[in-house]
Amino acid sequence: MKVLIVEDNVDLARNIQDFLVREGYVCEWSATCSNALEKLSSFEYDCLVLDIMLPDGSGLSLVEHIKQQKIRTNVLIISAKNSLDDKIHGLDLGADDYLTKPFHLSELNARLKAIYRRNALDGDNTVSFNEIILNTVSLEARVNNTLLDLTKKEFDLLLYFLINKNRILTRQSLAEHLWGDYADNLANFDFVYQHVKNLRKKINAAQGKDYIGTVYGIGYKFDTNIS
Amino acid sequence: MKLINSLTLWYLAITTLVLLASGFIVFYRVQSGIENEVARRLKRDIDSAAQLLENGISVDSVRGMQMEVAELPFDAPLVEMQITDSMGYYSLPRRAVDRKFTVASSYKVGGKHFYISAYNFIAEPDEILEGILASLAATLILLMTFVWIASRLMSQRILSNFNQTLKTIQTFSLRQKHRIKLGNTRTHEFKELNQFLEKMTSKALDDYRSLKEFSENASHELQTPLSIIRGKLDLLLETNIDERQASLIEGIQNSVQKLSSVNQSLILLTKLENQEYPVSYKIDFSTLVENSISSFRELIEMKAIALTSQIQPGVKIDLNPVLADILLMNLISNAIRHNHVNGSITIALSSSGLIVSNTGDAPTVPTSELFKRFKKDKQSADSTGLGLAIVKQICDMNNFSISYEFIGAEHVLNINFLPVK
Repeated sequence: MKVLIVEDNVDLARNIQDFLVREGYVCEWSATCSNALEKLSSFEYDCLVLDIMLPDGSGLSLVEHIKQQKIRTNVLIISAKNSLDDKIHGLDLGADDYLTKPFHLSELNARLKAIYRRNALDGDNTVSFNEIILNTVSLEARVNNTLLDLTKKEFDLLLYFLINKNRILTRQSLAEHLWGDYADNLANFDFVYQHVKNLRKKINAAQGKDYIGTVYGIGYKFDTNIS
Repeated sequence: MKLINSLTLWYLAITTLVLLASGFIVFYRVQSGIENEVARRLKRDIDSAAQLLENGISVDSVRGMQMEVAELPFDAPLVEMQITDSMGYYSLPRRAVDRKFTVASSYKVGGKHFYISAYNFIAEPDEILEGILASLAATLILLMTFVWIASRLMSQRILSNFNQTLKTIQTFSLRQKHRIKLGNTRTHEFKELNQFLEKMTSKALDDYRSLKEFSENASHELQTPLSIIRGKLDLLLETNIDERQASLIEGIQNSVQKLSSVNQSLILLTKLENQEYPVSYKIDFSTLVENSISSFRELIEMKAIALTSQIQPGVKIDLNPVLADILLMNLISNAIRHNHVNGSITIALSSSGLIVSNTGDAPTVPTSELFKRFKKDKQSADSTGLGLAIVKQICDMNNFSISYEFIGAEHVLNINFLPVK
């Protein structure tokens, strides 16, 4: 997947680039609207990771441009503004998703993959690894072809693990992924532990391997190298 | 009362007083003028009568209309000139009584001593007064009519600019984009007023704009570095680290998260204070409460909290939907966070208000203090301390009253939509 990061902050852009490159994406970076426009006219990208406040204009104008010129690319807005108006405005203009800073890179990864799955031409709605197959449209999870009885949260959790394989996912990032703004107000991450425990139990019951392990007591990792 | 009416009334009151005073002055002047004139003429008449007698004209031919001549003994003392003011009869053209003014004196001429008196009928004082009052009253009525009409016409001209200014100022809002423009006027005071208002509103607009820009920029400027820290920590977590380093990273992550939510809460409070949330409209609050409860249901169950809700359906209140959401989220998450495992939460909504009560430890600071920013209970070190301040601000903005009490073993937050003022 080819991604163009439009972000004026070098450090932040480099963070995203570092992370995505290791995830196997091809990443390019523009610091300004004009530079991004140039790149968009010469190359094709699967997705744009777009900051709204740029030195030479608003990222939203770039979204408008993309829609007007019918450029085939998906847009994920990353913004410091957590205002509902901006969110709605951005999505109205045709952006595919909106992520508020500060975000976890694993969350960005999950959102990008979700957009890609939704809009990719071949329309493959499954995410799989070995014996685990998830259908992101019907929300069915199968392990060794046995249908798992998962709650919506557990399904989201498993998908998040599969998208971010072999990465340490902190309880905080899991909580934010599952509960969004609501996670903010809760004192501890016990409920994350509960969900992971239930998920592991259900995978085990279907003879699946226990890929999900705790790491240093701060989070979890979906480890593909488990024997 | 309109400015022009009160000015007119004052003017008329003063005019009436002045007219009354001048009425009395006129009365006395006219009265004494008439008396002096009549006395002078009568004196002249009797003087010339005495002259005629001296010239040898007979007494009978001197005596006549309004003139009496009598002969006194020669050795009687001379009668000084005397003026009498009395009432007297007259018969022509018809018999009537009127004020009679008489001047009398005695003369010794031609070896004889004559007492000559002449009189005339003049206007009585009350007749004079009546006339003066009548004319003054007419003057006053004329004056009133003209002043009333003229002031109306003039005020339209003179005060038109002032009224325009008033109208412009009444519709002025800090949120408007353009500066106000007040018309030109030649009246010095209005010119000064307009200049002052233009300067003041421009300043207010500028200040408001820069405050708004500041809060927006502050958000951006803080969120971006926070985002960088978070990203770097995510990346750091994937390098070769040991358990101790991992737990340090988690600590930093949590603090970054906290910093970010404090920042966002402060920005929200600033926005609330700047009244950036447009005028609210009727929303179905019952549905919103139900929705909020169901978003929290899982978290409530996980803490094994028993939830009782009594939601009266179809409660509609005036509130911005975004703010309604924030309000409910803060209230319910507080009720969960400051609760025991196996505790309880009761949410009751009626058309008059919303009551959220929950079990929990007794507060260590007075409950009313908890509405202040960064005031928080010792037991909740991990909260931002802004949730209730936001709730209070939203309530204040919408004229809801809010109270927080600790009754029995329960925290009771009571929002009244229709407080008695």
